[in-house]
Amino acid sequence: MSRFRKLAALGLALTFLGGLTACGNTSDTQDASGNAGSKQIYRTLDEIKEDGTINIGVFSDKNPFGYVDENGEYQGYDVYFANRLAQDLGVEVNFVSTEAANRIEYLQTGKVDVILANFTVTDERKEEVDFALPYMNVALGVVSRNDNVIESLDDLGEDDAIIVISGTTAETYLIHNYPNIPLQKFDSYATAKEAFENGTGVAWANDNTEVIAFSLQNEGYTVGIPSLGSNDTIAPAVTKGNTTLLEWINEDIKKLGEEQFFHKDYEETLTDTYGDAYKETLVVEGGKTE
Amino acid sequence: MNAAYIEKFLPLYQRAAILTVRIGIEGIFLAILIGLLCAIILYEKIPVIRQVVMVYVEISRNTPLLVQLFFIYYGLPKVGVRLSPEICGVIGLAFLGGSYMAEAFRSGLEGVENIQRESAYSLGMNRFQTMRYVILPQAVSTSIPAFIANIIFLLKETSVFSAISLMDLMFTAKDLIGLYYKTTESLTLLVVFYLMILLPVSILGAIVERRMRYAGFGS
Repeated sequence: MSRFRKLAALGLALTFLGGLTACGNTSDTQDASGNAGSKQIYRTLDEIKEDGTINIGVFSDKNPFGYVDENGEYQGYDVYFANRLAQDLGVEVNFVSTEAANRIEYLQTGKVDVILANFTVTDERKEEVDFALPYMNVALGVVSRNDNVIESLDDLGEDDAIIVISGTTAETYLIHNYPNIPLQKFDSYATAKEAFENGTGVAWANDNTEVIAFSLQNEGYTVGIPSLGSNDTIAPAVTKGNTTLLEWINEDIKKLGEEQFFHKDYEETLTDTYGDAYKETLVVEGGKTE
Repeated sequence: MNAAYIEKFLPLYQRAAILTVRIGIEGIFLAILIGLLCAIILYEKIPVIRQVVMVYVEISRNTPLLVQLFFIYYGLPKVGVRLSPEICGVIGLAFLGGSYMAEAFRSGLEGVENIQRESAYSLGMNRFQTMRYVILPQAVSTSIPAFIANIIFLLKETSVFSAISLMDLMFTAKDLIGLYYKTTESLTLLVVFYLMILLPVSILGAIVERRMRYAGFGS
């Protein structure tokens, strides 16, 4: 009796696993063929308009780009843009808080219509999602403590761990280019910052905009490496194949360029942190990079 | 499913599984010690310490492991105590598990009828001997099912370790999804590895449970 039960349980477990892989297969073929699958994951422009609400994935802990202020309101450079997008589209905006590592998943499962979470454009990501025109420049940067400023990654000792956030371009870059540097990975900006302030790791690698903001907002830190890796851009992303929404966003970004919208966005959300020093290097207007 | 990615991910999952199991074993071992000690203190009604234990059990059982880990890893450095993530994980697991184990053992201890203790005393055994040779063996026997359930529960609780930057199975899966966007492969491996760890525990548990069923006076 008991043996039978155990066999039955094992059988059930295997069936469950089989089911899981089977599900995986279908979603894989769907991914590969974009929207050709039987069920469309994303919502088209018309569907969003009809619904009256657009779901936009933003950071809730990445000050000053996407964060929740003391009143519980979403704020920041990305959020300012997101609000404008919704306004131009004539719909309400519903912010969905996201972490770096699940931005692509959120699009691929249709949890959000657009990701506006400081999403760096990379070739690998382009295979998974569709990027619109860029609205910001970015490179990587490394911040360290004043008493041990790291100016080159070659100076690091064997046990000197660098803090990175799981799912960011900094993580990918370091894994590919400096495979011997031990990385201490965190799953959110908030915890990474907290740990760094507590003395964990010798340095923190992230988007240079982010580490510059950190060193300006907190005393005792220096950005020893202000630019690392290639110069990239940040752009809105939509689910692969969602062309109607993508084209509309591109049109809107071009239109916003005429009124210098992103300069205004910078002044409203970033001047407090960066001053005007980074305005021209950071802002991309009308989707045009020089 | 892409076999190349699975092959690429396997070593990472292996490392994560070893970490998960190692922290799990260390934490659960400490939890058993704490639990046993607390249960005996409660059972023997030792004054003052008993109250302390009761407070500990309530705090530990009524706060999530995630909160406890945050407190240990992000909170304690503010007062100058800095521990590695791994030690924090072990402490967190021991802190949470201790109270669950204490409750499991306590129910076992209370399940031993009073007449046995009285009989032992009348045979001339002292308090320690009574506990060691009469009460504890039976208490452990009756609490085995709850004890095994706790072990499985604690092993599964390790999945929140990502919050303190420990590369356990869960965080490895999340990280790989973020790095390579291979959700299906990552999640399948995650399930397989958890089952590989937990199925043997639960099968072994069932065997131990059957072997240890000797408690109960006259039954």
